[in-house]
Amino acid sequence: MAHPDNSAPAPHRRTEVSNLSFALIISIPVLVFLLIVVAYPLAYAFYLSFNEIRFFGGYSADWVGLTNYANVLYDPSFWSSLGRTLRFTVETVILTLAIGLGLALILKHLPPGWRWLRALIILPWAVSPYGAGIFFAYLGRGQTGIGTSVAAALGSDQTFNLISANFVMEYLALGAAWNMAPLVAFFLLANMLTTPPRLYDLAKIDQMSHFETFWHVTLPPLRFTIFVFSCITTVLAMKTFDYIFTETQGGPGSASAVLTYTLYKISFVNLDLGYGAAMSFFLLAVILGSTGILYFIWGRKEERQ
Amino acid sequence: MSSDFLNMSRRSFLRTSALLSATAMTSSFAGAAFAQSVDFKPTSGETVYFRGWQFRTDVVQQNVDLYNKTFGGKVDYATVTGDYPAVMEKALIANENLDVLYANPSSAVRYNGGGWVLPASELPNGEEIANGLYPNIRDAWSVDGKLLGLSYFVSTRGCLEVFTKPFLAAGFTEEQLPTTWDELYDMVYVLKDKGVATPFLPHWFGEYFGISWAFVFEVMNRGGEVADAKTHEPKLTVDGPAGKTLAAWKKLWKSGLVPEEVFSYNEAGYIDAFRSGRYVFSPQQIYDLKTFNDKAQSGDVAGHVTLLSGKNQSWGLIDSALYVMTARKGRSEALTDDVKKFVNWYGYKDQDGKFFVADRWLKENMLFSGYKEVMESPQAREAVSTSLMRPEDYDRVLEVYSKTPYPKGIWNVVWSEEFNFWLREKLFAFLQQDLEAEAVINEANEKIVELNKRYKI
Repeated sequence: MAHPDNSAPAPHRRTEVSNLSFALIISIPVLVFLLIVVAYPLAYAFYLSFNEIRFFGGYSADWVGLTNYANVLYDPSFWSSLGRTLRFTVETVILTLAIGLGLALILKHLPPGWRWLRALIILPWAVSPYGAGIFFAYLGRGQTGIGTSVAAALGSDQTFNLISANFVMEYLALGAAWNMAPLVAFFLLANMLTTPPRLYDLAKIDQMSHFETFWHVTLPPLRFTIFVFSCITTVLAMKTFDYIFTETQGGPGSASAVLTYTLYKISFVNLDLGYGAAMSFFLLAVILGSTGILYFIWGRKEERQ
Repeated sequence: MSSDFLNMSRRSFLRTSALLSATAMTSSFAGAAFAQSVDFKPTSGETVYFRGWQFRTDVVQQNVDLYNKTFGGKVDYATVTGDYPAVMEKALIANENLDVLYANPSSAVRYNGGGWVLPASELPNGEEIANGLYPNIRDAWSVDGKLLGLSYFVSTRGCLEVFTKPFLAAGFTEEQLPTTWDELYDMVYVLKDKGVATPFLPHWFGEYFGISWAFVFEVMNRGGEVADAKTHEPKLTVDGPAGKTLAAWKKLWKSGLVPEEVFSYNEAGYIDAFRSGRYVFSPQQIYDLKTFNDKAQSGDVAGHVTLLSGKNQSWGLIDSALYVMTARKGRSEALTDDVKKFVNWYGYKDQDGKFFVADRWLKENMLFSGYKEVMESPQAREAVSTSLMRPEDYDRVLEVYSKTPYPKGIWNVVWSEEFNFWLREKLFAFLQQDLEAEAVINEANEKIVELNKRYKI
């Protein structure tokens, strides 16, 4: 029996991919890549942190449970290094954002014939942290440094050493800001150039002062970018190693031995990989905690606005 | 022409000529015999990876190029920057492409402890090479009777060098130069009182061979030891050389004569500081006498730098380096043979039976060798004499060099680098945080005991 062909072809329904599904589809390759390059080393470091690793007299890994983590908490060098890391981070973030903002304001108001400077200003960011470390080491030392050169130009034969235990962290923060601030300036400048000029005209009509114009017109559209760069700079500052290693080798003495430097010493000089791995998870916690705090007290506010 | 030569009889002339000819023939036979016994031509067709720290990389590259050109070799040379021992250790653990490397003896001992070294004793002519070394050097570079590498250089680090101009200008004569550490510190304060602002540049810089080595050599120069050469048990005492060293350091630091920036110098900064002419005395490398007396490199001090006599005590410590072969896993036997051939040529004798590389280092940079034959040649005397402030300093150089001690107790042990890093930080803290000398010495002894326990020594 033949069936009557009473079923007219149903209209073809185009299924729309949801935003979430689309995001997942394009993220999967990245997630797989991250799983390989991040998850494996992270998991291996986690495994190491519960072991005492020996290379001499034959490789061995002895299970020690939470001993490495407990030892970190009783290690004075951990706490002093953590203190230096936080000091360096806070100073670097403040200096980077302040210099970046200042540069962006200058670049914005450049006369047309000088705008090529906007391209040139990015150069310090192109310098590797390793190179920046060597550069600032020479700049800071008493015998070769800028302080001594300035003093000599003024007729003094005094040497001025900027790599001193008392303010080496500030000097390091200044160098780190020199390296990073141009990038911040670039993004802030791009942000500033999207602010409608009529807002500045209105500010003039309202007879706002320069500071009021900056505060009420220039700054509000920049706040989210500044927040993002606060987070980025915080993370970068906390994990800085090569710049500090080449500039001061954690010195003078141990005055600039931040947490990454202490980790390097434990893991790659002493080859105590288990203990080093445990301490590195404290650093990871500090980085995640700091950015989390930034988000909760600042980021969420910016998102709502 | 000497009158002795002119008065020589025909018989004597013939006898001398015959002797000289015989000597020349013996040498050339020995060279030919050596050339026949050692084959330098690589066969694997694979690359030999050779890595070192940054010192006269131009010379090293030229030497490597010569080997490659002469024998059709494929030696790849590159330098390593940063914290050299740690970087190389990481490369060895990771079994990276690394076949030959520079290493200080302490590092070589540690690498050997990790099983990453192919001892030089395993070269076909390993015994001959070992016998050609000075016994104290062979002893320093050996573990369990195995020679770990071939001679790169041997030097005295911490020999006391003097910029004579300001010293003489202060009214002193060379006969009044100090001969011991105590006399040196006394002289420093006398010079200070005479208005010399920076009479002394101590060896307190930030490199791994800086302040910690300074402590080790001063303790040894004063007759002490950091640890026992055989058992590696600690031997520092508060009322002995260690206590005296730290007391002198604390007094010097508190006097304000040493700028804090010295702590953050690298080696180049430290050398630059002395050749700037600001300082009168400084413990330096013995081979840097050449640098300091070279007008092209050290304008201000050139021709005025000599060294303190080693008559009453030793100065500094033996700072040396070896060419070490790695025991890289997965390397073919043919490539391992090529590695041995290259090392043999580079670190011992060339195809003519001559110490080509060692002789060149001696001539160009006054780098001493561990081989007796190199050091006792007339060319060595000439090369060294012409590098000094005056030729007469040659005997003083040999006197200091021959007395230089080697800290076997803390260097021929697997925890050497670890202790060195610890000591470096502790000594900086001792000065900067005004720690008690007694506490530092006790902690150093405890650290050695702890390390011995951890490594089951």
